[in-house]
Amino acid sequence: MNFDYLIKRFFSAVFVLFSILTFVFFLIHIVPGDPIEVMLGESARVADRYALRESLGLNLSITQQWLNYLNNFLHFDLGKSLYSNQLVIELLFKHIPDTFLLSLASLFVAILIAVPLGIFSAVYKGSILDKASILLATLGISIPNFVMGPLLILIFSLWLGWFPVSGNDEISSIILPALTLGSALAAILSRMIRSSMLETLQQDYIRSARARGITEFNIIVFHALRNAALPVVTVLGMQFGALLAGAVITETVFSWPGIGQLMIESIQKRDYPVVQGCVLLISFTYVLVNLITDFICILIDPRIHDKND
Amino acid sequence: MIMRMVSSKISHILVLFVLFSQLFIYGCKESDRSTIAMGLNTSPVNLDPRYATDAISYRVSRLIYKSLIDFDEKYHVIPQLAVWQKLSPTHYRFILGEKYREFHDGSKLSSEDVKATYDSVLNSNNVSPHRGSIAMIKSIEIVDFDTIDFKLSYPDPLFPGRCVIGILPKKFIYKKHDFSREPIGSGPIKILYWENDENLKLKRISDNKIIELITLKDPIVRVLKLLKGDIDLIQGNLPPEVITWLGKKQYLNVEKKIGNTFTYIGFNLEDPIVGNILIRNAIAHAIDRESIIKYVMSSSARKAGSLLPPEHWASNSNLSGFKYNPKKSKKFLKDAGYDGLTPLKLIYKTSNDPFRLRLATIIQKQLESIGIEIEIRSYDWGTFYGDIKEGRFQMYSLSWVGLKMPDIFYYIFHSDSVPPYGANRGRFKDAKVDEILDLVRSETSLNKQAIYYKNLQEYLMRSLPYIPLWYEDNVLISKSNIKGYKLSTDGNFDSLIYIQND
Repeated sequence: MNFDYLIKRFFSAVFVLFSILTFVFFLIHIVPGDPIEVMLGESARVADRYALRESLGLNLSITQQWLNYLNNFLHFDLGKSLYSNQLVIELLFKHIPDTFLLSLASLFVAILIAVPLGIFSAVYKGSILDKASILLATLGISIPNFVMGPLLILIFSLWLGWFPVSGNDEISSIILPALTLGSALAAILSRMIRSSMLETLQQDYIRSARARGITEFNIIVFHALRNAALPVVTVLGMQFGALLAGAVITETVFSWPGIGQLMIESIQKRDYPVVQGCVLLISFTYVLVNLITDFICILIDPRIHDKND
Repeated sequence: MIMRMVSSKISHILVLFVLFSQLFIYGCKESDRSTIAMGLNTSPVNLDPRYATDAISYRVSRLIYKSLIDFDEKYHVIPQLAVWQKLSPTHYRFILGEKYREFHDGSKLSSEDVKATYDSVLNSNNVSPHRGSIAMIKSIEIVDFDTIDFKLSYPDPLFPGRCVIGILPKKFIYKKHDFSREPIGSGPIKILYWENDENLKLKRISDNKIIELITLKDPIVRVLKLLKGDIDLIQGNLPPEVITWLGKKQYLNVEKKIGNTFTYIGFNLEDPIVGNILIRNAIAHAIDRESIIKYVMSSSARKAGSLLPPEHWASNSNLSGFKYNPKKSKKFLKDAGYDGLTPLKLIYKTSNDPFRLRLATIIQKQLESIGIEIEIRSYDWGTFYGDIKEGRFQMYSLSWVGLKMPDIFYYIFHSDSVPPYGANRGRFKDAKVDEILDLVRSETSLNKQAIYYKNLQEYLMRSLPYIPLWYEDNVLISKSNIKGYKLSTDGNFDSLIYIQND
């Protein structure tokens, strides 16, 4: 892995972040809806509306607002929420831990389900287990989170009484939202692992390993799985980013105070600085996770490094 | 062999999982009688009464702060912190009473605090959304510790009813204390903890009972929490069929009370099609409100004939809206030049709230039966509200929540009130309505004002800038051990001040 490659990746990441920020800034400003109207309501006086608009800098041209935002951003100032007056950075830091925790737990659940399921389906291709795994995967993908969430609550919270219905007051609160998010991801991953494993198990080196008398367990876990993991790791990286931003429904169902909820509420209220902050955080995480994924892929398969060189 | 190995591993994992989950079960909190938990559909935004504009913030603020006056069930102004005297049409004196005179920090509420609060709202630098409602105040003078005078720049017989802003302690106003997150009032309930928007903990001063307000946006999850016993009560914002289902549970109480949330269909009167009174009449007679209320809303609403509910002192209680009459509708349409050969297509805007959307589709179907093709467009609140304010609509549906003062008619129907100067969103311009509204403003007797308003409501039913639909009931679902909760017409949470969980 040479230095030039890292520099190239760094600048491409900065460019991606800048493009996303610019695009979202202009998009949120041109859609109908005015934060001043939502904040003050219709009963406020015109002069008061103007005064508030001026104090928030919303009377300036959109280009000027964008330049001001960039200037503040370069000084590590993401601004304040138009509604709560809290610093955006504080708001983000308040919600990040919950979002990361949920995303990591969901990934853990997904891997826990998908890896054994994918391997069994590949090893016992065409068996009842394989068919059952197809059925499970189809169900996992088809059942939307707003159905899966309440269903899990009904079974595990109401009937069995094992976990809390919602919130994040207890450690066990994370299990149901992680299962809801993780099950859909597990469905996708298990199918990927299956097809990737099937391809790998056909390779010559697997046949050689069998001829050398290596146990089937060792062949699958230490020889086949490592090579089959490459596309899966890439997808996992992408999905982790999606989990950060796309857990809105699950967060709503389980009253999980994450970034997704914060962003949706801010979009509805046209709380521009908070929307920008959320988008920045999510895109930064996406870029970072992709970068890490690339490096992991190189670690798994050093040939990728040679190709990049 | 692999299968055997793996099955043994799976069984180990399963055993561990069950043991692990048991650990959590025993770790779960036990139900606590020192706490009453209420589920909300949305969090309060701002608990500073100078800035709060949303319904939930208003309802919670009422528990923490006290204002000079309040309203009774017929919307007459009644004393709360103070009684008042009208010394002249432009001079009101308020005398503070004995109740609610101690702030949560232990200091005594005085006329200085009243003045500081109102001065703060009137200060243009503070940009309070309520400044417009008390803009007639010319000066505020402290007479003594308990007495304060308000002098107005013009006579306003409704003035006492405008003194609804919760009183804040002067010394904290001057310190620029953040009342929005750390409220300090003189109400019977004070704040304990509000770190996350989702969980607001309050404490009842009289018996130290903890009142927990938990935000659960998803209605089904709110119900599941109630069924599990994590929360004790829910007020409103549940689908009607869920309320009916909950009503069959023996361990739950379901109560209903008439409400004053007024739902209507509004029109853009500058639009060449719905600007035509014949089209509006056709639509009004084609909507079968009785069926909607009975079957879709599970009878949790009553038909509306005006903005103000019939029990309001300025309401025209004879009005109950239009009767469903498709034949009449078709005749109106024919008179307007739409005889079935010429298709009539209209765009109906609504919010993306699932229940509002469902109502829109029912109205769409009912209008289709008389030959009006409706295209429904639903948007998030910001976009929808922006469109309505800017007049980018043909017809839309919305609700007015918590209306109390009759001069709302000026704000909604006077030609001077077209946004951004008011809420005349439909751009309704009618010389007679303007004349009545100007007359009523200059009338100093409330009885005479009531007569003007009653006539105005009759006239509005004929000119039809709005189609009044219904007033939605307030509904309470509580665990059977919750005693003493009385629903109010405006949906406030005042009962939290005294309810008990036996």
